[in-house]
Amino acid sequence: MTVTLRIVVIIVSVLTTAMILRKIRNARLQIEDSIFWIGFCAMLILFSLFPGLPDLLSRLAGTYTTANFIYLAVIFLLIVKLFHMTLKLSELETKLKTLVQEMALEDNRRRREEEAQAAMGQPETEGKQGGDAQSARM
Amino acid sequence: MREGIQELLIVIPAYNEAENIERVVNRLITDFPQYDYLVVNDGSSDQTAEICRRNNYNFLDLPVNLGLAGGFQAGLKYAARCGYRYAAQFDGDGQHRPEYLAAMQARMEEGYDIVIGSRFVGQKKPRSMRMLGSNLIESAIRLTTGVRIKDPTSGMRMFNRMMIEEFAGGLNYGPEPDTVSYLIRRRGARVAEVPVVMDERLLGKSYLTPLNAARYMIKMLVSICLIQSFRKRR
Repeated sequence: MTVTLRIVVIIVSVLTTAMILRKIRNARLQIEDSIFWIGFCAMLILFSLFPGLPDLLSRLAGTYTTANFIYLAVIFLLIVKLFHMTLKLSELETKLKTLVQEMALEDNRRRREEEAQAAMGQPETEGKQGGDAQSARM
Repeated sequence: MREGIQELLIVIPAYNEAENIERVVNRLITDFPQYDYLVVNDGSSDQTAEICRRNNYNFLDLPVNLGLAGGFQAGLKYAARCGYRYAAQFDGDGQHRPEYLAAMQARMEEGYDIVIGSRFVGQKKPRSMRMLGSNLIESAIRLTTGVRIKDPTSGMRMFNRMMIEEFAGGLNYGPEPDTVSYLIRRRGARVAEVPVVMDERLLGKSYLTPLNAARYMIKMLVSICLIQSFRKRR
């Protein structure tokens, strides 16, 4: 690796880390979600500061060149991360679906209750409850 | 939950069906008072919700669009909570005829778990691209379950109490042929078909463009042949 490239890589890694840390500071990211990215940044900085490290790992893994090893490792990491994100998205959609369904069921139940009350013709005793339901729906 | 509840609940998923919903529901109310019905307005962007409110229909108003699976599931959650014995899936666009529900229910009483209103029980399928799709799904279900369903894509299905609970509680229970194949394979559901006639859709446009149809076919075939075999029994 040439000296220029090393400097560029170090600068890019540090900038990326700074950006991610700032987002965490501004509470834009949950801690659990930021752990992966902190680890990823640490790896970038480590590799750029000590190029001997990826060389060693590459030799251990048996890859042809260090560049190949880095590509392989990063792509693999990202694929795993992407899969986890799909998983989370799926969970999120399920939760949203459940919430929307519960809202609609509750709305229907309240409407029918009001109807039943109106049909029975006793608005004095149940008037307060009806008022609550009205305001809750707003 | 409700007084004087009938045995069968007709669930009518409606997404932007303002032009059809009144005709469909009024027909049910006037001519078929022996059934309860529930419109599920799936976050329509047109007047569907206003029409339901104005006519005082029994309806669920989903605040956002969940798609057919989510909307139908909401309807079956309602059926499960109100304690209905049977629930029927019924189109909001008027292509299903309610007069066949009685025959379907009679078949249900014989001990089936799912009864499908089938266009092709008595007669041969016409030759068209759509029927090619139908045949492919039929073969896929036959291959994986050994059960022959002549009209797997029919949207007119009836479910019993056990199936209602399944649909209400589970994830990945779209009202589609792949779910039927799953229920046969993993839940031992017994399926029967009853011959019905369906009308062409009168107003509004169908979502079934050639591209959507192709996408649907691929999803169904992959789901029936591959994914459903990985699913665990709950």
